[in-house]
Amino acid sequence: MAKLLMDQLTKTYDNKVTAVENFNLTVEDEEFIVFVGPSGCGKSTTLRMIAGLEDISSGTFSIDGKKMNEVQPKDRDIAMVFQNYALYPHMTVYENMAFSLKLKGMPKAEIKDRVRNAAEILGLMDYLNRKPKALSGGQRQRVALGRAIVRDAKLFLMDEPLSNLDSKLRVQMRTEISKLHQRLKTTTIYVTHDQTEAMTMATRIVIMKDGVIQQVGTPKEVYDQPDNVFVAGFIGSPAMNFFNGRIEGNYFVMGQTKLLIPDSALPEGLDNQEVIIGLRPEHITHKPVKDESTVEVNLDVVELMGSEYMVYATLEGHSFVGRVDANLDLAAGTVFPMAFEMDKARFFNPTTEKRIR
Amino acid sequence: MRNKRNWKLEILGILLGILWLLPFYLMFVNSFKTKKEIFMDVTSPPEQWSFDNYITAFEELDFLQTLFNSLLITISSVVLIIIFSAMAAYALSRAKSRISTVLFFIFVAAMLIPFQSVMIPLVTVFGQFEMLNRGGLIFMYIGFGASLSIFLYHGALNNIPKSLDEAARIDGANRWQVFWHIIFPMLKPITVTVAILNIIWIWNDYLLPSLVINKTGSETIPLKMFFFFGEYTKQWHLALAGLTLAILPVIIFYFFAQRSIIKGVSDGAIK
Repeated sequence: MAKLLMDQLTKTYDNKVTAVENFNLTVEDEEFIVFVGPSGCGKSTTLRMIAGLEDISSGTFSIDGKKMNEVQPKDRDIAMVFQNYALYPHMTVYENMAFSLKLKGMPKAEIKDRVRNAAEILGLMDYLNRKPKALSGGQRQRVALGRAIVRDAKLFLMDEPLSNLDSKLRVQMRTEISKLHQRLKTTTIYVTHDQTEAMTMATRIVIMKDGVIQQVGTPKEVYDQPDNVFVAGFIGSPAMNFFNGRIEGNYFVMGQTKLLIPDSALPEGLDNQEVIIGLRPEHITHKPVKDESTVEVNLDVVELMGSEYMVYATLEGHSFVGRVDANLDLAAGTVFPMAFEMDKARFFNPTTEKRIR
Repeated sequence: MRNKRNWKLEILGILLGILWLLPFYLMFVNSFKTKKEIFMDVTSPPEQWSFDNYITAFEELDFLQTLFNSLLITISSVVLIIIFSAMAAYALSRAKSRISTVLFFIFVAAMLIPFQSVMIPLVTVFGQFEMLNRGGLIFMYIGFGASLSIFLYHGALNNIPKSLDEAARIDGANRWQVFWHIIFPMLKPITVTVAILNIIWIWNDYLLPSLVINKTGSETIPLKMFFFFGEYTKQWHLALAGLTLAILPVIIFYFFAQRSIIKGVSDGAIK
């Protein structure tokens, strides 16, 4: 159990490349924080600074009020799960899990109790005498988790722990990690580039780009109220659709198309301004009654997902995705009326790409 | 098809085997003959299988003391080469900097320097430090053996992911524990290769001990063998008995270590 404080955390390498810049975050006890962002955004570097595997160039990192900048990884009371599991190949599952406890000089009986307890939680009892090479990917991942659990550490760090698993196993392990967190309530920081993992597991998400935090918030907050175009485009699958245009009165105008925006949804002072509007696929759909935000579009691609269609089309040079109920009969190449739910639109400044509220 | 015997290959294998075993046969059978018998017919078995040559050679060579010297020098040198080379290669592979790259290339370059070109100054310097003894010889072997060993370990270490070091550090290990508990056991296949290469070379070496060991009672087996080769007479019967005795420890070593040597070499090959 730990409360973390990261204050102006910065990582600059010898070649003057800045990987992380002015990272500010307070993590409350028992939180499950997910760092998410594209490759090279600095999320793993931040995690490694927290672990003590990378030096902190400037700023402060503290656990429970104690500054950790110069503290060795082994003295931070943290446990870490690596992307490639990092299991010791010459040791059995039992020895892998017991290694840290042996180093601490814990009595053998207690080590046995702790390892067996963790193995039971993770369903590894039958594999304790096996070497890692005789385990499947999912089992190896469980051993890596077990190695963290036996430590009873203050803080769990997980660096893309599921990215080496196939998609089915990934979903299963995702649930298991969430359950584990609910059971142990250990403060956890989890790094991933998969926004679905972030959305499903996190109590709060930290979205990063080019070493800078873009937004911190609950999954619902970052989905519904994205701070900028990057966050809006990164969170959600398929991604949010963006349209460049102009506000004229109560209308969003792009080329020949005019879409009516309800008064309540239109931020003030945007008249005659260029804006980017963002609409999630579920907000571009089909409605039985046409209105001033319904547009006839030519369907480029239609994908039947079972309960719904993913509809790919182009409007005034902007490609977009919509979602339509599967009860309708749709085909690519046909013209179809799509309703743009403009009350759900998010408005962004085209220069700064920040959200206009 | 796969079970069909390839006769041509089998015959070639047998011929090569005979060729390989022939020197051992000559050494073995002649070690039981008298000097006269050897000169009469070198290939035939002895008329009488007598152990007289062995008893004489054993005494003349002071075999137990000589064997002890050889074992002491070989085992100490190889153990120290393994430990120091693995540690040095670990440091060089993990601390990537310009200095470590230069140091690594210096080690690699040292493999290209022929021993004969440095032996005179080396022996002179060691003489000044009064190190022309078994300890000094072990020290030299570590120096000469380290470069190839570091090169081999370095290659193997580059294939061990750094995340294992990091996982161990987070598990509470210090640098020494990371190396000793995690990294070194993973280097077993390459350690076997390094051990074999160095044991063969050090056990059989004549030139370096001949320059360094100048005290009676400290000689290694290859040095002592020359006891039988005088300026005017060569006592082949005793020398061959001595040689047979000399190769016995290596054969015994191979017999016991055979399984892990083969496993080590084949593990190394797969990786």
